[in-house]
Amino acid sequence: MTASGTRSSSVPRDRLRPAGSTEPAGADVELDASDVTALAVRTEGLTKRFRSGQLAVDGIGLRVPRGSVYGFLGPNGSGKTTTIRMLLGLVRPTSGVAWLLGEPMPDGAGHVLPRVGALVEGPAFHPYLGGRANLARLDASDATADPRTARRRSDEALERVGLTAAASKPYRQYSLGMKQRLGLAAALLRPRELLVLDEPTNGLDPQGTREVRLLIRELADAGTTVLVSSHLLTEIEQVCTHLGIMGRGKLLVQGERQVLTERGVARVTVTTAGEQVGAAAEVLTGLGLAEVLADGVTLHALLGATAPEEVSAAIVNAGLDLVGLQVRRPSLEELFVELTGEGFDVAR
Amino acid sequence: MTEASVPRPTSSRARWAVPAVVAVAVTGAFLAPPLLASADESVLPDVTPGQLVTTIAAAEPVPLSGTVVYTARLGLPEIPLAEMTGADPIALLGGSSTLRVWTDGAERSRVALLGSASEYSVVQDGAEAWTYSSSDDAVVHYTLSAADQARFDALADDARAGTLPEVAGGLPTPDEAARAALAQVEQYSTVAMGDQTTVAGRDAYQLVVTPKDASTLIGKVVVAIDAETSTPLRVQTWSSTDSSSPALEIGFTDVAFTTPDDAVLAFSAPAGAAVKDVVVPLPEMTGAEPETAPGTLPEGVSITGTGWETVTTWSGLDVASLIAGDPAALATVPGAELTIGSESAQDLIEEFMPSDGSGSPSIPTLDTSVLYDQLTTAVPEGRLLSSTLLSVLVTDDGRVLVGAVPAETLRAMA
Amino acid sequence: MSHADVLADGSADAAELRPSSTPVRGAWGRLVRSELRLVFGRRRNQALLAGLAAVPLLLGLVLFVTRDSALAGQGPGFVGRVTGNGLFLVVAALIMCLPFLLPLTIGIATGEAIAGEASSGTLRYLLAVPVSRTRLLAVKAVATMTFVAAAVLAIGLVALAVGAAFFGLTDVTLLSGTTIPLADGVLRVAGVAAYVTLSLTGLVAVGLFFSTLTEVPVGAMAATVIVAIVSAVLDTLPQLAAIHPALLTHHWLDFAEFLRVEVDWGVLSSGMAVQAAWVAIFGSLAWSRFVTADVSS
Ligand SMILES: Nc1ncnc2c1ncn2[C@@H]1O[C@H](COP(=O)(O)OP(=O)(O)O)[C@@H](O)[C@H]1O
Ligand SMILES: [Mg+2]
Repeated sequence: MTASGTRSSSVPRDRLRPAGSTEPAGADVELDASDVTALAVRTEGLTKRFRSGQLAVDGIGLRVPRGSVYGFLGPNGSGKTTTIRMLLGLVRPTSGVAWLLGEPMPDGAGHVLPRVGALVEGPAFHPYLGGRANLARLDASDATADPRTARRRSDEALERVGLTAAASKPYRQYSLGMKQRLGLAAALLRPRELLVLDEPTNGLDPQGTREVRLLIRELADAGTTVLVSSHLLTEIEQVCTHLGIMGRGKLLVQGERQVLTERGVARVTVTTAGEQVGAAAEVLTGLGLAEVLADGVTLHALLGATAPEEVSAAIVNAGLDLVGLQVRRPSLEELFVELTGEGFDVAR
Repeated sequence: MTEASVPRPTSSRARWAVPAVVAVAVTGAFLAPPLLASADESVLPDVTPGQLVTTIAAAEPVPLSGTVVYTARLGLPEIPLAEMTGADPIALLGGSSTLRVWTDGAERSRVALLGSASEYSVVQDGAEAWTYSSSDDAVVHYTLSAADQARFDALADDARAGTLPEVAGGLPTPDEAARAALAQVEQYSTVAMGDQTTVAGRDAYQLVVTPKDASTLIGKVVVAIDAETSTPLRVQTWSSTDSSSPALEIGFTDVAFTTPDDAVLAFSAPAGAAVKDVVVPLPEMTGAEPETAPGTLPEGVSITGTGWETVTTWSGLDVASLIAGDPAALATVPGAELTIGSESAQDLIEEFMPSDGSGSPSIPTLDTSVLYDQLTTAVPEGRLLSSTLLSVLVTDDGRVLVGAVPAETLRAMA
Repeated sequence: MSHADVLADGSADAAELRPSSTPVRGAWGRLVRSELRLVFGRRRNQALLAGLAAVPLLLGLVLFVTRDSALAGQGPGFVGRVTGNGLFLVVAALIMCLPFLLPLTIGIATGEAIAGEASSGTLRYLLAVPVSRTRLLAVKAVATMTFVAAAVLAIGLVALAVGAAFFGLTDVTLLSGTTIPLADGVLRVAGVAAYVTLSLTGLVAVGLFFSTLTEVPVGAMAATVIVAIVSAVLDTLPQLAAIHPALLTHHWLDFAEFLRVEVDWGVLSSGMAVQAAWVAIFGSLAWSRFVTADVSS
């Protein structure tokens, strides 16, 4: 790993609202052994500029801890799929480096990818082959797969996604949801340490989406790390332990979901007696709160790391009347909209 | 499998070096052998032209089999003859042809003109000869009349007993041709040794025959002689108008001095083939050069000039029937043979040419009047065929002038 | 870091879950068989083989129907010889298929091999399995070549059967006018078919290279066919005589060597050497392109 890689890993940080607190420990120090084993996916300054000149991914530093379910969010065109392609060795990074399960990619693809199940930009299979035959084809391509267990494993994978009944039907005749399920079955052909699922809920009805969420949770409970991308926050938010939000090729924010939602950009609204507004503002500023704004008898401020109790105590201790105190945490949805700017519009 | 086959960001450029190196290596592999061969230093002992001629004269004809490439750059209009006719002797008029030659060094031989997916074979066995054209599955069988056959057998018996001086004419042999070459040309040419060379992987001396006379189209004739067996391996005829490449070149690209398989030298007409029998007269064994003896010139033929600049004129010819491909008419025209102006070089070339026993090429199967129009150009005197070695002028009054001289010379004579 | 570190770090459960990363023996053969099943199992490819096999059938029928008419014994190449000996139907049919139909078959097969997988998106899943790109390219080349060999074999076998049924098999008259026994003739015709098959390897390499350049299989197919046709056209231009021996198609008809009285192996091996050169150059080009290409379909 190079010095430039370390430097560029901090690039998104100037846009991070909840400062470095959401970064996993050790992000700014040189890679050590515990870091490698603790992270299922790690990238430093990963960048892809296509030959068309399009900067699809712009120096991102992903941190996907082992055992986590990492929601990789971002509007369409924000660079999620391109990032995933680079992680899997399908696309060569313009610069930057990536590790998968501790091994550098794409050099370690032969060792690592058998332990990684992937769904990239929708399912793709041979239309004239049935579901089972398509899985057999993929399994035959895997030099490390045991041919004796191939049939059992593919049947189990089909069972798991509920495709047993349609196993012999040509893929051409599958519905969109069935195709997506077969894609998941392919990712589950062998026990995996890491699943990389790019928009797995695309084309699924609400029932199907719920099933995918259940599946992800089940796999995560069994110890599998899951990196799941979506442009729809609500579809995967509930299963994620970690989130990373992409916008225009940059990783805008990432961290534990808990931290993002609780310590994210909570705002406090303090209402005091009319003439005490100025004094109250000084108390808040003194507490270290940012963006303190007066609006009539109310004050707005970013809560930051300060606990709401500290705020109320400070105001009371200053001998001021506390008429009301409200803490408003933006939903992840709002965070998403705020960070990506254009909300769910296609970025470019 | 190894991960080495997965792309690394750092080695992307380097990967493209692989096809570059492969391309260079492959090109090198194809170009190197000829270069190495030409760089090969010949270490043959020096000889004088006289010594070489003596060696050739003393050498026995040897059995051999090999591949011969014949290339004509006569400056004629480009006509894809080979595509039009398959393996047909007329293809020898232009471009490059491949022949395969087998001979037992005595009286049996086979020469095959190779076409793509076709073949024209000439098989000679003593006084008998066959031609076989695969394109039309046709056999022509040449024999002597009973009387001539008896005479031939007697001559052959005498030859075996060592009493017969020489069987000339229809059955030229290499030493004979080489001897005739030098005897004939000394008067009009200078003969010198050229650089030693390698032909078909064999070391060879080169004999350069240069006309003393500057008014002929022939620049020089270079004959490569195998140092070991004294067999002519290559004859190049250079035009005086083009010194970059020989106008006619016939030479082995591959030769082995071994006795060919009997199956190759034998011939019997295949079942179902059309067979035509032709009885040819055995030439009289009088003078060595009957055509050049003034007393024997046929009616209507006259010869002007000497040596290389000889011009032969026929008068009163039925040009129209000739062009139509009437074999009888064609057979009377020596110009239809591959005449390059000197008997000597011609004899040498005939060594390699598919000769069907009577000396005249087989009758072309394509539309010869079209070919005639394509090959010749209209001039005030008639129609002119002008090549780098030979000019032919057919006048409107039915005379044909042929000579290894510039076209202007013929037109001035007409 | 070593594998042991990971195992030590993970729980017993994780170790159980973790699949082996060491290649299983026979993996190469398994992939080749899977690829062959894919190629030969495809309806379109089966139809292609059937169509090629129909060429000698139609040719035989036409010659059989017209054999007593004025047209009998006419035609280019070996067509005129077929009525005399059914064995020549094999050669005549191969000559008919050589300029266009076999290059078209190669174009379709190579276009499907890489560009087809890329356009349907299955390529990204193969590479994510993972299959090493070098290995995948090699397997694709083997499978395509097998398909081309099957095409030549289909033409040859159908021609042999049709020729035997319509015209009978007799001793063979070679181009040199020499007659050889039928058994030798069959061997020589088998040599012709083998030479034709091997002569197509260069075009397969060229087709695979085109296939790595694009995600449009039809484009790769068209380019491959065009290369064969342009090569054949260049081969007829006398001005380019100097480059003729290096042309991809120049030596294709050299199979005639098997039908001459003495087979010159030098001619056949120089034809093979030219094909080997094309395979080396375009094979390495295809490899360079394929292992460095972004798979973004
Ligand atoms: N092969 C390609 N060539 C050029 N631009 C591309 C290519 N693939 C993707 N892009 C561009 O890169 C950007 C990111 O695309 P992508 O990674 O697919 O986004 P997401 O998956 O987040 O929707 C988009 O603007 C897209 O147009
Ligand atoms: Mg996407």
